[in-house]
Amino acid sequence: MEIFTLWLWPLLALILLPGLLVYFGLHVVERGIIFVDLALAQIAALGVCVAVALGAHPGHDALPWVLSLVFTLLGAGLFAWTRFRHPRVPQESIIGIIYVVSAAAATLVLSHSAEGDEALKNLLVGNVLLVTRAEVLRTFALFVGIAAVHVMLRRRFMMLSFDEDEARRRGISLRTWDFLFYATFGLTVTSFVQITGVYLVFSYLIVPAVCGALLSARIRTRLAIGWVVALAAGISGLALSVKLESADLPTGPTIVCCFGVALVVCAILMRLRKGSDPYLRSEGTTGRESRP
Amino acid sequence: MITLLLALKVVATTPEYGAVAAAIGGDQVKVTNLAKATEDPHFVDAKPSHIVALSKADILIEGGADLEVGWLPPLVEGARNAKINAGGPGRVRASEGIQLLDIPAALDRSLGDLHAAGNPHFMMDPANAKVVADHLCDVFCRLDAASCPAYKANRDAFAAKLQAKVDEWAKALAPFKGKPIVTYHPTWRYFAARFGLVSEVYLEPKPGIPPSPPHLAEVMQKMKEQHIGLVLVEPFQSRKTAEAVAERTGARVVDVCQFPGGLSGTEGDYVGLLDADVKAIASALAAAK
Repeated sequence: MEIFTLWLWPLLALILLPGLLVYFGLHVVERGIIFVDLALAQIAALGVCVAVALGAHPGHDALPWVLSLVFTLLGAGLFAWTRFRHPRVPQESIIGIIYVVSAAAATLVLSHSAEGDEALKNLLVGNVLLVTRAEVLRTFALFVGIAAVHVMLRRRFMMLSFDEDEARRRGISLRTWDFLFYATFGLTVTSFVQITGVYLVFSYLIVPAVCGALLSARIRTRLAIGWVVALAAGISGLALSVKLESADLPTGPTIVCCFGVALVVCAILMRLRKGSDPYLRSEGTTGRESRP
Repeated sequence: MITLLLALKVVATTPEYGAVAAAIGGDQVKVTNLAKATEDPHFVDAKPSHIVALSKADILIEGGADLEVGWLPPLVEGARNAKINAGGPGRVRASEGIQLLDIPAALDRSLGDLHAAGNPHFMMDPANAKVVADHLCDVFCRLDAASCPAYKANRDAFAAKLQAKVDEWAKALAPFKGKPIVTYHPTWRYFAARFGLVSEVYLEPKPGIPPSPPHLAEVMQKMKEQHIGLVLVEPFQSRKTAEAVAERTGARVVDVCQFPGGLSGTEGDYVGLLDADVKAIASALAAAK
């Protein structure tokens, strides 16, 4: 069976790794900071670019890895610090600015390096087909660690995203907890982006969370729906790109389109359910009132 | 059908190796190219078919001068095929036995060490294509001794056809001896050296680095001083940049390609590609005179 030789590690990557992204996606969608993942990935890439400009070699030296970590943490600090309530400036606009400035800065830093383009491309345009056993295992171990932190501290993290007012009332330090949130989120995104590329990270974060929100107000149900959607889209995308030999579709974009189909299916399901579910009809589906 | 089943399965990283392999192998080999002719050979996006082709390959032909270093190793690793692993019996480095140009004297990253092994675009010199043809013939004979006489006959036919054309090309370009040309990337160094042109001005400030305004200003200055009337650009390079430079200097943009199939009518035909390149360059040089 080809699937167990050639495609085993891509398949395992798509089964083992997206769980954590779907969870973070719930937070990200609830907070309305949809593009924060792209911004964090871009900041991490800027760190690698600085390392390359300093003469380090991605893949051989430790400096690119160290600087991408440092920049991710700096980015986490930046996002935690800019969580303010300004009547005219939404946080999403700050995120957009951070994204575009770090992307432009990376281009400037690399404008004198021949390897730069390649380094940047490798960082932001991962290809799940090429994932190695070591990458899957290493990333999975990291994700298990991050998931453990979030399971232990779930009440705090949930309150931060889903009930900011309550958190403020209790005098919880939003900045400290937000920093921890963005730091773990940044680590997750920057390691996943190297395996799958930016489009897939974005899809795994946003689509399952939106599907969950369409179909349920309860957080646990949304997470479960999100996991099912992520597994279904990932595996069917890989299968389609590998099995439709005459079409020879690149894997990443095929998975993203499967996510598009999944969203349509969920939207139809929501329509069908809405008629029979008085709760959804009256309360809408934002889930603000639910508790973890 | 029987020959197809017994055929050597050859995978070439870029189409010019595939074209030469098909010319030598004839019906006895089945050739698959990984990069498309219109794709930048420094960056190739992996698709499932690439890994499938590599997993079934008997032979993998790569340039061997670091051109594909950014994308080939993970593909080969993904394919899990011992025959084509580095050092495997089916792994062919086309650059073996070829004197490369532009080997950096010292490795200085500030100069862009994209290709520490030297300039990898050696197939633009037909004499090097002959070396590669001999090399491939040896490898095919080693792996498929039964068809060796056919491979040798094909190799001789290819060499004869190439030699006749080389004389024709040299004649077509002879009037322009010593003429400078501008190219996007140092792709045409071997071609220029073979046919007596001078390729020392590039739109890229350093190999792999996108053109910056000050560098382009310098290029345009040189074009005026040296009366350079043409800018060579390939399908995957920025034609817009070449057009902007040409417009400001009164030069013309010439569409060329280093890969068979990159110009229409040259699919799978190395000699046909060089023929089209020579014609385009010669006519542009004549018009610019």
